[in-house]
Amino acid sequence: MNNKSYILVKAATNIISGMSMATLIILGVLYIGFNNAFVFNNAGIAVTNNPVTGGQINFILEGSREHKCILTRVHSDAYNDDTGERFELDFARKIYIRSNDYLGSDTGEVDHQWAMPVPEGMLPGLYRVTLYSEFNCTYLLFEKTKVQMFDNISLTIE
Amino acid sequence: MDKVRNQKIQKQVERWDLFARLTPTLFLLTTMVLILFDIVDLEYAFYVGLIGFAITAVSWWWWAIFTIRYLVITLARASSNLTEVNDEITIVKKELSELKDE
Repeated sequence: MNNKSYILVKAATNIISGMSMATLIILGVLYIGFNNAFVFNNAGIAVTNNPVTGGQINFILEGSREHKCILTRVHSDAYNDDTGERFELDFARKIYIRSNDYLGSDTGEVDHQWAMPVPEGMLPGLYRVTLYSEFNCTYLLFEKTKVQMFDNISLTIE
Repeated sequence: MDKVRNQKIQKQVERWDLFARLTPTLFLLTTMVLILFDIVDLEYAFYVGLIGFAITAVSWWWWAIFTIRYLVITLARASSNLTEVNDEITIVKKELSELKDE
C-alpha cells in the first residue's frame, strides 16, 4: 500500500468509525429515553358521571403519549371503601363514548372516554377503582412491553 | 531503558488508534446482524455495548494517567538536564573569556 492509499484508508476509517460511534451514542440515548418513558404523561383517569345512578360507569382518560403504544391487556377492579369487597369491571363490555384513536397507537394528546356496566351485586357506596394496563410500545427500531397503573379513582354508586 | 519504554508507548498509541478506528464500526455491524437474525435482543446488545464502553473508558483513563505521568517525568528530567548543560556552558564561556583576557 503506497502512502497516498494509506492516508485515504486511514481517513475513511476515521470517518466511518466516527459515524458509527455517533450512531451508537444516539441510539443508546434514544433507547434509554424510550425505556424510561411512561406510556402516558400527565395522565389521569376519572369517573365523569359520579355519583353513578344508572347502570353505566363513564370514564375519562386525559394525558399525552410520546410513543406509539398498543393496548394488549387491561384489568380493572373496584374496591368498596368500607368493606374492601372487590368487584371486577368487565372490559369486554366496554363502549367507547369518545375517542379519536380506537387502536390506542397515536401519539400526542389523548382524550378517551368509555363506559362500562356497573358490576352485578355492587351496592351503593364509595369505591376506589384501580386500573392495570399493559402496552406494546414501539419507537424507531425499539419495542418494549410497558405497564401503567392508575389507582385511587373515586367511584360513587347511588 | 527510556528508548524501550518510548517505543512501547508508541506501539500502545498505535494499538489504541486501531482499536478506536475499528471497534465502533465492528460492534455496530455485528449487533445489527445479530439483532436482524434474532440471535440477541436489543436490550442485551445495549448492555453489552454499555459494559464494553465502560471497560474501554476505564482502561483508557488509567493508561492515559500512567502515560502522562511517565511523559511528565521524562520532560522534567530532560528539562533538568538541559539546565545543567546550560549552566556548564555558561561556566565554560566564562572560563574561556578569562583565558582570553589573560
